[in-house]
Formats: sequence, structure tokens, C-alpha cells
Amino acid sequence: MNSLTIAWIALPLFVGFSIYLLPKLDRYLAIAVATTSAAYGLALILGSNVVALQLMDSFGVTLLADQLSGYFILGNALVTTAVVLYCWKQAKSAFFFTQMIVLHGSVNAVFICADFISLYVALEVIGIAAFLLIAYPRTDRSIWVGLRYLFVSNTAMLFYLMGAALVYQANGSFAYVGLQQAPTDAIALLFLGLFTKGGIFVSGLWLPLTHSESETPVSALLSGVVVNTGVFPLVRFALLFEEIQPILQFFSVATALLGVGYAILARDTKRTLAASTISQLGFVLAAPAGAGLYALSHGLAKAALFLTAGNLPSRSFQALRQTPMQLSMWATLAAASLSLAGFPLIAGFGAKTLTLKSSVPWQANGLTIAAIGTAIVFSKFLFLPFVKEPAQKKSPNFWLAIGLLLGSLILANGFSLETYTLANILKALFVIGVGWSIYGLLGQYLTLKLPRAVEQLEHLLGVMSLMLVILFGAGLLP
Amino acid sequence: MSSVLEACIFATVMGGFFGIILKKNLMMKILSMDVMSTGVIAFYVLVASHSGLFTPILEDTEGSSVAYADPVPQAVILTAIVIGFSIQALMLVGVMKLSRDHPTLEISEIEKSNTP
Repeated sequence: MNSLTIAWIALPLFVGFSIYLLPKLDRYLAIAVATTSAAYGLALILGSNVVALQLMDSFGVTLLADQLSGYFILGNALVTTAVVLYCWKQAKSAFFFTQMIVLHGSVNAVFICADFISLYVALEVIGIAAFLLIAYPRTDRSIWVGLRYLFVSNTAMLFYLMGAALVYQANGSFAYVGLQQAPTDAIALLFLGLFTKGGIFVSGLWLPLTHSESETPVSALLSGVVVNTGVFPLVRFALLFEEIQPILQFFSVATALLGVGYAILARDTKRTLAASTISQLGFVLAAPAGAGLYALSHGLAKAALFLTAGNLPSRSFQALRQTPMQLSMWATLAAASLSLAGFPLIAGFGAKTLTLKSSVPWQANGLTIAAIGTAIVFSKFLFLPFVKEPAQKKSPNFWLAIGLLLGSLILANGFSLETYTLANILKALFVIGVGWSIYGLLGQYLTLKLPRAVEQLEHLLGVMSLMLVILFGAGLLP
Repeated sequence: MSSVLEACIFATVMGGFFGIILKKNLMMKILSMDVMSTGVIAFYVLVASHSGLFTPILEDTEGSSVAYADPVPQAVILTAIVIGFSIQALMLVGVMKLSRDHPTLEISEIEKSNTP
């Protein structure tokens, strides 16, 4: 398994650049890499063996692949496969697929690395590849959105790098285990970098614009997998050290509520989805026990929603309420929405139940409120009108991609069969019912327009200093 | 001496960070980011120098009593320098493209015309 892991982590980078040499095979090579990752991820989940590697002496690269990594890797692989299928017939150049596979590989690297510098390199490569994907249309807006993303992420990573230096100063090593002896300022700096990358709490306010203004397949990739790379290391830390769990629990609830608030008030489909990504990341961060399954089910459902929403005639809910969509499109939206709201029979239910079960009591209350909010958010999609007759035919590739995502969502139930008890099912249905009734009663009043000022670049950067102070203060608490 | 250096390094980092926030011109923001990353790089060099100042190259003539600088942070920061470099280049290309429609490169103007 050891040499297999090294071969597998190197494969996407090797193939990614080969795509540039063999542009005719771009789509096939991309699918092959993603399928390999899916097989590797499944092997990690089902085999439950742990791969721990220390390459090149005690100063070298540390890798750790276990069941938790397996879920994240599987999610990454499935979403990438679906996006490649979606783009199959589109006029995308080999460059696009190269970037996509390099992105895929570096996201995988985040999920198995166990030292701060490997994580830094992987996160920076993700930043560059994501920028190139966002700016792929070469329009002024896409370049600006990409630049803004790169600006925020690079500044955050500079803070992270200082934190990593402080960890090294305290331990003489960059491995994750050194976090135990690290001073408070090191933890604050590291967390600031990861919070910004992972869209946690107010550090994540760059996310709605970036994810909603990107092209449809890129939005699906960013929301489905890329943001997980900021949260995954935090989950790893929470598993390694119990002392930092209270900070993460606080921020998980705050993130879930903030994201839900934004999503409820948004009037644009893609913006709603992007804002709900923030709140779902709060759920992923909430409890390490449920994190893997939650990230997997969220990534699959969110990618399906983005791919479908990108093919609707309009992005505004107002327009969608007036012109009914096709039944098939509505069914796709409904299935993915129900999963995110935690409806039984779809993987979102198991993930949500597991997360709520393993969180501490005060946290579970906050998360339940956020879950009701999520049900409200997705009733916006669920209660859109539809007509039966087919208006225009979508390409078979679109349905292949959606079929893969939704099929995997159903199959992923197999990872959490133990959650199907009567009490859990009733609770989930109750939460959804409350959400729907609130939407039915107040739906038309939820049209407050939020100021966009907080999403300006300067404010996004200024918020970093604020978060640094909060994190430092939180670290000093007993 | 070391603490004075450390203070200077943090001043550089903070100066760069405030430049990123306060400068109105996109080009100046990117240059401020370079200043900030210079500060971070200097911090790694400082961390490396805690164990000594000698270049870490082993020689037969001298014993093990020489206080070598720690090679690990230096090696690590080399990677970060290269990454910082490439990101800077990428951003400048983006700025070149944007400057066609926004010759002043003022951030408020760019933001106004590119936010939905």
C-alpha cells in the first residue's frame, strides 16, 4: 500500500502535464486519473488500513492516509469525474483539463499530508490551479474574480507560513504532531490561513462571489471539493488534540448559522448555493466523527445542484417562479436539495445524523437551528414550479454526470446504515417539516437585501486582522 | 540583537499587510504583498539562525563545535519563495489584462464594474 500511495499521489501531476503533450487524449486521461482516485479512496474506506509514511528522514514529507482521508478522496474523485463528463462535449481546451487534473492531484495531496509545509505547497498549488480555472473564460469579470480569490488566499497563506515557522521553532519539525507544543500565536496564525482557505465564519465571505460568478463546472469543483481542503486539516488537528476542539466547535456553529443566514436572503440560485456551502462547511467542521461522510455527501449534492442550476433558463428565483422548468431538471434539483436538507434515503441524512449525534449538546442545538435554516434554503428550490412536457433536450453527458452524482449519493447510504432508526428518521422529518412551514409562512417576506460592502476586497483582507485577534484571544482562554 | 531583528521583521510584515489593505491601486497592493512575503521569508531566515550563523556545509578541518545555521527552514522557504514568485507573476498578468479597460487600476473602479 505504501508504494501504491506514492504512485497514486504522483499520478495526477504526471498525467496533468502529459495532457498538454497529448491534447487529443485530454478527456480520457482526466477520467482515468479520477477513476484511479475513486478506487484508492474506496480502498481506504473499506480496507480501514492506515498508511503512515515518513519520506526522507525526520525532516522530510509526512503522509497519513486513513478512513477519514478516504471519504474526502472519494468525494474529490466522484465530483471530478462528474465535471469531466459534463465538459466532455464542450469546447474546452487541453489547458482546462490540465488545470483540472493538477487541481485534483493537489486536493488529494492535502487529504493525505501530515506536515505543515506539504500542506502549504498543496494549498498554494490549489490556489494557482483554481485561479486559472476561474479565469479560463478570459473575460474582465472572470479575471477580477480570480485575482480577488488569489489575493485573499495568498495573503492568508502568508500568515499561515508564519505560524508554520513558529511551530518549527518550538519543535524542530513541521509535522502536525508539533502543534501540541506550539505557542498560541502559532495556532492563531495557522488557523487564520486555514479558515480563509476553507471559508469558515467571516473569513469565508470571499466565497459567495467567487463560487457564484465562476463557470458552472468550475463552481461545482470549487464548492464540491476545493473548499474542503481548508477544513480537512482542521478536522485532523481536532482528532490529534482535544484541547483545540472547543475553538473549532464554536466556529463550526457560527459558520453554519452565518452561511444559512446569507443563503436564505439570497435571491440568485448560484449565490444561494455558494452561501449554503459556507454553512455546510460549518457542519463538516462540527464533529470529526461525521466529517468524512458529511464532506462526501455535501460535495456530491452541491456539485449536482451547481451543474443543474447552471442549465436553468435564469439565475433569479423571481424569474424561475414565473416560468416553470422541465420535470427532469426539477427532479434533479429536488433530490440534491433533499439530501442537503437531511431527508432519509439519501446520504445527507446519515451524514447529518452522525454529525449531530457526535457533537456536544450546546453545539447540537445550534446545528439543529442551522439544519432548519438549511431546510428553508432548499425549499426555495424544492417549491419551484415545473411542467411535464420536455421543452428542450439536454445532452446525454449532462445526465451521465448528474446520474453519477445522484447515484453515488444513494449508494453512500451504505456507509451509515446504523443511523436508520425510527427516532432519527422522525427527528430529520421534523426538522425538514419545521423548515418548510417557516418557508410557507414567511417565504415571501424573506427579501431583505444584504449590503455587499463586506465582500469588497479591502474588507475581506481587513477581516483577517480581526479574525487573528479573535483567534488569539480564544487561544488564551483556559 | 535577535529581538531587534525580530521586531524589524514583524514591522515589515505588518507594513506589507497594511499596504495591501490601504493602498488604492491594484498594482501597489500586489507590491505590498511582496513586501509582506519578504518579511515572512526573513522570519524563516531568522528562525534558521537561532542555532548559529555558519553556512551549513560540513568540512573535515573543523570539529562538530561549529554553530551551524539550521538548513531546514532555509530549504523550506526556498519553496515558498518560488511559489510566491509564480503567484506574483500570475497576478501581474491578470493586472495587465484588466488595465486595458481600467487604465488607472483603481480597485474601487474595477470592483464597481465587475460586481453583479
